[in-house]
Amino acid sequence: MADDKDVLRDVWFGRIPTCFTLNPDEITEREAEPYYLLLPRVSYLPLVTDKVKKHFHKVMKAEDVEEMWFEYEGTPLKWHYPIGVLFDLHASNTVLPWSITVHFKSFPDRDLLHCPSNSIIEAHFMSSIKEADALKHKSQVVNDMQKKDHKQLWMGLQNDKFDQFWAMNRKLMEYPTEEGGFRYIPFRIYQALSERLFIQKLFRPVSPEGNTHTLGDLLKEMYPDALTNDGEQKRYQVLIHGIEPLLETPLQWLSEHLSHPDNFLHICAIPVPTD
Amino acid sequence: MEWKRHVSEQLKLRDRIQRQTFEEIVHQYNRLLEKSDLQAVLTERYQTDKYDVQRGHEAGSADSARSDLLQQEMAQMRIRHQEELTELHKKRGELAQSVIELNNQIQQKDREIQTNEARMLEYQQQISSLEGDCRELRNSLQELEQANQTLKDEYDALQITFSALEEKLRKTTEDNQELVSRWMAEKAQEANRLNAENEKDSRRRQAKLQKDLADAAKEPLPIEPDDDIEVLAEDGVKGAGETSPNRPMSKTLSRKPSQPPPGGLLDSISNIFGRRRSANSFSTSPEPTESPSGLCAEVRVPSTALHVFEAHDGEVNAVRFSPGSRLLATGGMDRRVKLWEVVAGRCEAKGALTGSNAGITSIEFDSAGSYLLAASNDFASRIWTVEDYRLRHTLTGHSGKVLSARFLLDNARIVSGSYDRTLKLWDLRSKVCMKTVFAGSSCNDIVCTEQCVMSGHFDKKVRFWDIRAESIVREIELMGRVTSLDLNHDRSELLTCSRDDLLKIIDLRTNAIRQTFSAQGFKCGADWTRVTFSPDGSYVAGGSAEGALYVWNVLTGKVDRTLDRNHNSAINSVSWSPSGAYVASVEKGSKAILWSDM
Repeated sequence: MADDKDVLRDVWFGRIPTCFTLNPDEITEREAEPYYLLLPRVSYLPLVTDKVKKHFHKVMKAEDVEEMWFEYEGTPLKWHYPIGVLFDLHASNTVLPWSITVHFKSFPDRDLLHCPSNSIIEAHFMSSIKEADALKHKSQVVNDMQKKDHKQLWMGLQNDKFDQFWAMNRKLMEYPTEEGGFRYIPFRIYQALSERLFIQKLFRPVSPEGNTHTLGDLLKEMYPDALTNDGEQKRYQVLIHGIEPLLETPLQWLSEHLSHPDNFLHICAIPVPTD
Repeated sequence: MEWKRHVSEQLKLRDRIQRQTFEEIVHQYNRLLEKSDLQAVLTERYQTDKYDVQRGHEAGSADSARSDLLQQEMAQMRIRHQEELTELHKKRGELAQSVIELNNQIQQKDREIQTNEARMLEYQQQISSLEGDCRELRNSLQELEQANQTLKDEYDALQITFSALEEKLRKTTEDNQELVSRWMAEKAQEANRLNAENEKDSRRRQAKLQKDLADAAKEPLPIEPDDDIEVLAEDGVKGAGETSPNRPMSKTLSRKPSQPPPGGLLDSISNIFGRRRSANSFSTSPEPTESPSGLCAEVRVPSTALHVFEAHDGEVNAVRFSPGSRLLATGGMDRRVKLWEVVAGRCEAKGALTGSNAGITSIEFDSAGSYLLAASNDFASRIWTVEDYRLRHTLTGHSGKVLSARFLLDNARIVSGSYDRTLKLWDLRSKVCMKTVFAGSSCNDIVCTEQCVMSGHFDKKVRFWDIRAESIVREIELMGRVTSLDLNHDRSELLTCSRDDLLKIIDLRTNAIRQTFSAQGFKCGADWTRVTFSPDGSYVAGGSAEGALYVWNVLTGKVDRTLDRNHNSAINSVSWSPSGAYVASVEKGSKAILWSDM
């Protein structure tokens, strides 16, 4: 069970310092100052950037404003990834604060999804939870929950209420004692510089022989390149929430404590910086 | 847990680097940004003011256009903000309104729910009470049905019993009728037998008498002038009687004409010839042993009870000495007349005369003493011959109890008085009622003289009837119901007893009350209490309701003797023997007492 409360709190309250700069091509009435913000790792961009929008709307004419979208060093940022994942994947070892460029026109329809309202974010968030629970408990727990419980999960995330969220999320982190863990671990392994978006496969937390699987076991199975063989230099960093857990960390524990609010274990594998 | 510790450390490190270093800076930066924005707004406003003032001073300033523009923009923004504000206010008002309305609705619904619940409760209570009532009603209905059923069964049973009883009744009535008809037939047979016997008898006597007469006519016989006709008890003395009719007739004619007994004798003799009368002993020859009635000399006031004896089963109503004082006849409610012989101070039972169907009310001997007339409660009077105790005649015709019957002085007729308020005159030859007189009141007692019949009635009157004229000659009213009448030996005085407990002597010539007798304890016991003269008319005797016999002296009018120790119940009748020696009294309690002064 997830009762390493400190770990949970640290995971929840993780922040990334960000500097939002308006795209210079945008038509402004006067110069727009950059906007600084500490973004929560576990949330989503459209959820926390209202102030950014207001700030930049002040210097723009109403008729020039379309849907806001973000981009980092040329890469449009997918809003449906958690912010922490975006940062770890794109700008993990760069200079802080993270500089994001704000655009108001030329929305890249090919790369990004539209997000007209918060209900879209909520739908995406809930579907991730359901997907995760399908893997963990064959959807039993999430289906036993009532609609207000789902709402509580979403509201907890939206309003940044740790206790409110975890009151419900505990149930999703439980498993029958005889099992030893979830049915399958919900995880996604993101690779930088890859055509494939992410790796997501079925993986049990306990081996058929009864051994608990670790992070290393998972990587060995799913992304063996990430592992460093003896004698070699480390080529990849395996980041979860901006830290590198030891490879012998039990996968079940990781899923319980280091999952995002959407109950997925988002793992970023990035090449080690050469400098 | 190495890895766990590692994870914790890594997280803390990350936070230190990524968050804590920038947190304060970002916060302060944002504050500065806000401040600068505010400054910008303020500056703009001040600038517009300045432009306004300047415009006021300088007209047509080049900057005015720009400031105007700015002003306009500001104004527009303000207006827009105002509009937004008002719109928000309005919306807020509307929302508040809707909230209030919804609240009201909710309250209303709550109230409705409450009333509905209250009503439902009420209905439930009603339902339960109605169910209770229904159950009770069903129970009572069941009980009623059961009771009804039992009643029906009882009724059926009763119906069956009733029809059975009806059947029984019918059968019994039939049997009864059959028995009655058989009994009637038997009675008719018996009557026929009796008649046949009588006929035979009379024929025999007739023949014998004829023969005797024929014999007697052949020889002369001495005649005694002072012969009075006596009743003989045996057959033997017929011969002597033959001759006397002529002599005594002449003799008696020369004597007091008021003594009709010999005339009566003649009548009876002629009756023999004229009719087939069964006369046993014909009162022709005198018996020296019997002293003649009417001229009795030795009247003795009784003082002791010589013989107390049970006379009848039940009440004894009537008592009479025979004219010869030898026999005593008593009649009672046991329907019999019993004859007793007075011998040596005792009464020996001689026989009983039967034939009456109900109690005997009065007894009389005819002047010869050979016939006894008794009136009965069965509406008839009967005549027996004394000698052989045989019933000779039954006189029916009254429609009520016959309370008194007397021979008229010629012994050929009988007068009877009845409860049916009539007096009937009977002819013994034809045995038919010759006359019926309506008296108007029940007749309790009768006495007869040659011309007159006196009757005492319930309506306190004594009526005097003329025999021939059949009408009332006189009426005397007394103070109480007349229970008894008696004549003295020369028929000059009438003794009455009435329910006012007084005995009165009425002089028949003057029709005045000569004497009244009463006594302290004397109470008339019944409507038929009989009193009597002594044979010489100097005493009067009567019995009271307490069982005391009173003897009054006629001359003094006072009680001569009271004999109250022997009777236990009311004395119904008293008779003084013609010889004067004995008095007989009978009581309600079936006893008879023979008194004398010995």
